[in-house]
Amino acid sequence: MSSTAQELSPDFDPITIEIIQSSLSAITDEMFATMRRTAMSSIIYEVLDFGVALFNDRGELASSGSGIPGFIGMLEPGVAAIKKKFNAADIHDGDIFMLNIPHHGGVSHINDVVMILPVFAHGSLIGWLANKAHWVDLGGAFPGGISPDATEVYQEGLQLPGIKVIDRGEVNQAVLDIILMNSRVPETTKGDFWAGVASMRAGQKRFLSLVEKYGEAAVRHAMTDYIALGEKIARAAMTDLPKGTFEAEETLEDGRVIKAAITITDDAFTVDLRGNPDQSKTSLNSSRDATFVDCQMIFKAITSPETFGNAGSFRPIELLTDEGSIFDAKYPAAMSIYYETSMLLFDLLWKALAPAMPNRLTAGHYASICGTFMGGPHPETGHVHGIVEPQLGGWGASQEHDGINALYTGYHGDTFNVPVEVTEQRNGLMVDRLALNDAPGGEGERIGGKGILLDYRILAEDWWLTMAYTRTETGPWGLEGGLEGSTNFVEVVKANGETTRHAACTAIPLGVNDVVKVYTATGGGYGDPKKRARERVLEDIKNGYVSKERAKEIYGVDV
Amino acid sequence: MRVATDVGGTFTDLVCIDDDGIRITKSDTTPPNFEKGVIRVLEKADIDPARIDDFVHGTTVVINALLSRRGAKTGLITTRGFRDVLEIARGNRPDLFNFAFKKPAPFVPRYLRHEITERMDYLGRVVEPLALDEVDSIVAALKAEEVEAVAICCLHAYVNPEHELAIEARVRELWPDVSIIASHKVCGEWREYERTSTAVLSAYVHPIAKGYLASLDEKLTARGLSGKPLIMRSNGGVATVEGARNDPISMVESGPASGVLGAAALGVQIGEPNLIALDIGGTTAKTALIENGAAKITTSYKIEWDRTNPGYPIRTPVVDLVEIGNGGGSIAWVDKGGRMHVGPQSAGSQPGPAAYGRGGEHITTTDANLVLGRINPKLFLGGEQEPDWDSIDRAFEPLIEALGETKEDIARGVIGIANANMVNALKLVSLNRGYDPREFALIAFGGGGAMHAVALAEELMTPKVIIPVNSSVFSAWGMLMCDLRRDFLKTEVKTLNAGAADDIEAAYEAMEAQARETCLAEGMPADAMRIERFADMRYAGQEHTVKVPTPHKRLDDAALQELTKAFHALHMREYTFQLDSDVELVNFHIVVFADIDKKQLPPLPVTGRALSEAQKGVRKVDFGADGVHDTNEYDLSLIEPGMKIAGPAVLEDPTATIVISPGKRAHMDDYGNIHIQMRAS
Repeated sequence: MSSTAQELSPDFDPITIEIIQSSLSAITDEMFATMRRTAMSSIIYEVLDFGVALFNDRGELASSGSGIPGFIGMLEPGVAAIKKKFNAADIHDGDIFMLNIPHHGGVSHINDVVMILPVFAHGSLIGWLANKAHWVDLGGAFPGGISPDATEVYQEGLQLPGIKVIDRGEVNQAVLDIILMNSRVPETTKGDFWAGVASMRAGQKRFLSLVEKYGEAAVRHAMTDYIALGEKIARAAMTDLPKGTFEAEETLEDGRVIKAAITITDDAFTVDLRGNPDQSKTSLNSSRDATFVDCQMIFKAITSPETFGNAGSFRPIELLTDEGSIFDAKYPAAMSIYYETSMLLFDLLWKALAPAMPNRLTAGHYASICGTFMGGPHPETGHVHGIVEPQLGGWGASQEHDGINALYTGYHGDTFNVPVEVTEQRNGLMVDRLALNDAPGGEGERIGGKGILLDYRILAEDWWLTMAYTRTETGPWGLEGGLEGSTNFVEVVKANGETTRHAACTAIPLGVNDVVKVYTATGGGYGDPKKRARERVLEDIKNGYVSKERAKEIYGVDV
Repeated sequence: MRVATDVGGTFTDLVCIDDDGIRITKSDTTPPNFEKGVIRVLEKADIDPARIDDFVHGTTVVINALLSRRGAKTGLITTRGFRDVLEIARGNRPDLFNFAFKKPAPFVPRYLRHEITERMDYLGRVVEPLALDEVDSIVAALKAEEVEAVAICCLHAYVNPEHELAIEARVRELWPDVSIIASHKVCGEWREYERTSTAVLSAYVHPIAKGYLASLDEKLTARGLSGKPLIMRSNGGVATVEGARNDPISMVESGPASGVLGAAALGVQIGEPNLIALDIGGTTAKTALIENGAAKITTSYKIEWDRTNPGYPIRTPVVDLVEIGNGGGSIAWVDKGGRMHVGPQSAGSQPGPAAYGRGGEHITTTDANLVLGRINPKLFLGGEQEPDWDSIDRAFEPLIEALGETKEDIARGVIGIANANMVNALKLVSLNRGYDPREFALIAFGGGGAMHAVALAEELMTPKVIIPVNSSVFSAWGMLMCDLRRDFLKTEVKTLNAGAADDIEAAYEAMEAQARETCLAEGMPADAMRIERFADMRYAGQEHTVKVPTPHKRLDDAALQELTKAFHALHMREYTFQLDSDVELVNFHIVVFADIDKKQLPPLPVTGRALSEAQKGVRKVDFGADGVHDTNEYDLSLIEPGMKIAGPAVLEDPTATIVISPGKRAHMDDYGNIHIQMRAS
């Protein structure tokens, strides 16, 4: 399984194969762009909480387009689930399938809806296209579907167990009607559904024109070869990795301890998560697929961050879990806040490896999606709106440079925050402040990047807030003597001045002039603060990044 | 006499049209005093500025100041609570698996970003009155830091610019000689980071652009130019000096824009209104689609943006083009997995391709074209220098070793990959937006356009290729085909329901009145002004919009319905579906034109010379998949209108090489453009 450019069968010249392969990524780029331009919810078009992918006929990932690294490897099990459920004879040209049950593969929580389209050339299956996007609301007990209080998946929204929603080009209107009826935002849901269809149809058109130009056999060969190339690059990069076992553990805010051991050998990257806590009664659980994605991300980052990723890129990864644990939860465990559990694990794997790979991995970042969900009537129109937003935060410092200010988590990627001017018009609330958070913490020879302060003022009655952050008690970890960063949390300041601090809450009521204040963490520092160059400290003071008093205390710089 | 000068990265091109016909001259670009090169090229062409009726000028001074970070020290005044918006940016990290990512640094550091007490809501209502007295201490602080330019950006200024105007007036009063840019004057759209970035970058380049325009104007006037120069903008129009000075960032992409506009204008003259334009330069290739004689305009432009870098947004109207890192100087390299790639790294002009013999150690597209016989070694670099074959061989060695193939195979591979990259870009502007390339002609220009066009057209299945006369300086010629143009965009979200017509008409009219005033003040002739309307529309809930041309007549309910229908159709074409949701108008877009009396391309004289007289010889040329052929070489300067040439053939002069593969037929039209039929008819 390692054909290379030099060993190709004589029928295909390597340049043609390479051109087909670059066209495969052009196809997924195109699918991505189409989805983004046509979607109805900001979680898709700004936050880019969606991914697209192209597979060979066996359902192996050949190319993906994503704004989020965490989505690259997620769709492969989704295609596998459809192949398992349907006989080949029941899969036709023009079909589109949907699924969203995390325990069944291919997704991470109910809100992530996967659509899958088989591609046929001259009557035979040549590949698959898939698309996964966060839908704002699929019904269930909680607005937006997401709550730390959910105890079973039934409360998290309508389950779509691998259904054919478009049959040979014909929409199954009954299914679509049920989905729309169950959503609190049917218009948005309908728009996002068609955006998904448009995205895959755009990809299908390009895929078929590739087949027309180069022939079926060459395209099939190019996909197989591309996956083999992904594996070859990954294995070659492994020779440069430090070998051994790298471990880390972390005490969660509820007192439970999570741990990971990563063993790197010449040909395997084994992540051992056995012995971790049992699955939670809350929704802070991950499916095994989501856990595997964490392993993929960290593996890619330390092997070949600059190249494409496909099924081959991740072949050296081996994952060991206990069934029924928080990292491999079983049906019907609630999972709507899987992303914080996944993030905890991602941060843990990062922490285990960072000391050995300082050129690729920084000190700890704010490591919480900081998912913030709010909704209520628009004060001008009365129309009920929902906000689903992750927050920006501070990144860790590294040997080479200071941490980055205000960036989305490592789980995110080309994700955009929602502009204040847009959110005020669309959602009818007011943002009093969007600023870097100058909270102390994260000092070092290189300093941790800053998180943000974001104050939402509510302008109508009958609003609500749901959120669940982590790293609310302990800040991001430093490296080589760098200090720990600050923490993530929310403060709700009621109109009467009463203030409460939250790590998590479900649907707390808000009214006119209540203010929701988001604080996100400064990343961890790198190296002894006393070694920070004086001129840099003076610059930090001039920019207001650090107070004179703190500068004297931590850096010993007296102005 | 009409003269255009186009300052490029390497050369400053001149095109002159008068009653005697058309002349072209090239001279070196002279950074950082670009105006010197302009004067020099005029001298080289032996043109007396006193005889010039219109002098049109395109310059890289703005993009150059941005990319080399040689702009002014800039301060920012913004709404209280939001000084960090510029540094927070949008928080995105396109380099997905790189966890040691670096975010681009803001052009204004925090200590030069000042907050002022004021606040509007999204409807433009004052929530917090402006504390104008705070301006005094801010100005004092910025003066103390020796700032040279000030950007002002208040939240929701695109709806109500009152506060920005008041701050601007006060700063000007206190500090008359500083450059000031208020955000709403350079960007009328929402999204505070993008508008702040646009204002900041505009302020950053303002002193340099202003100084440059003044110096150019002065030098030309001193040499006898009677009128004022016209300045090329990124929107495909030209500006008065005053207009360019007020909105300097609008010059950021002037070169590519003029090429596209030139293609559109030429298309109209020769009866080809539907074109895919392709400009292949030294470092990049740019492509745009022209439908019914018009190119599209967008404001989603960014500098320094690529797959790993979020770049910096500039919301100025720019011709909608796709640019990729593939040009004559693009470097071929082999990745970890043993695969060859071409670009986006470029050898530039220093050291340049290996063939230059100036220390270039990498094989570039140009080197591959030489090896395959497509470039005539005798005409290399305008015939002024022999290719350095030893240097080429040395540069091939690492590729031969890594790939285990012959030099010729690798050279074919380089061209194949470069062409595939360009075809993908060409598809992005056509197929992917719902246009069928078979209904378009491919018009190719720039230094490398003529060489690659036929192979690209083959893949794209366009039926025809057009190589315009003087294709290597076509962008400069395009400037002479442009009218005065200024775009105005304004975000104001309106639902297109019954009864909305009056409201929308009123918004257009108010905008138009103000636009006329601005254009008059900038010296646009009132009697030549005409206005076009566009609407950026979407389904309620979507974010991204589709630009819909709007008939310039009083909008009533019927006209609004027509507009909505046009939107549905455009959305359907581009995205394969339409919805029955509400339709919203998000941005009002108007374009003010003032037509310029342009000289058409003059017909070329015909002497009745025979084709054989233009033939110089025969050489072996490698046509890739079409094989290696003995190929007729023609001197392009001796080809005359009406002559018919059968491929395989190469038409060349010191500035361009037109490669015509076997089986294709070409002819020259009355004006000197070469038309190549891709299919036997």
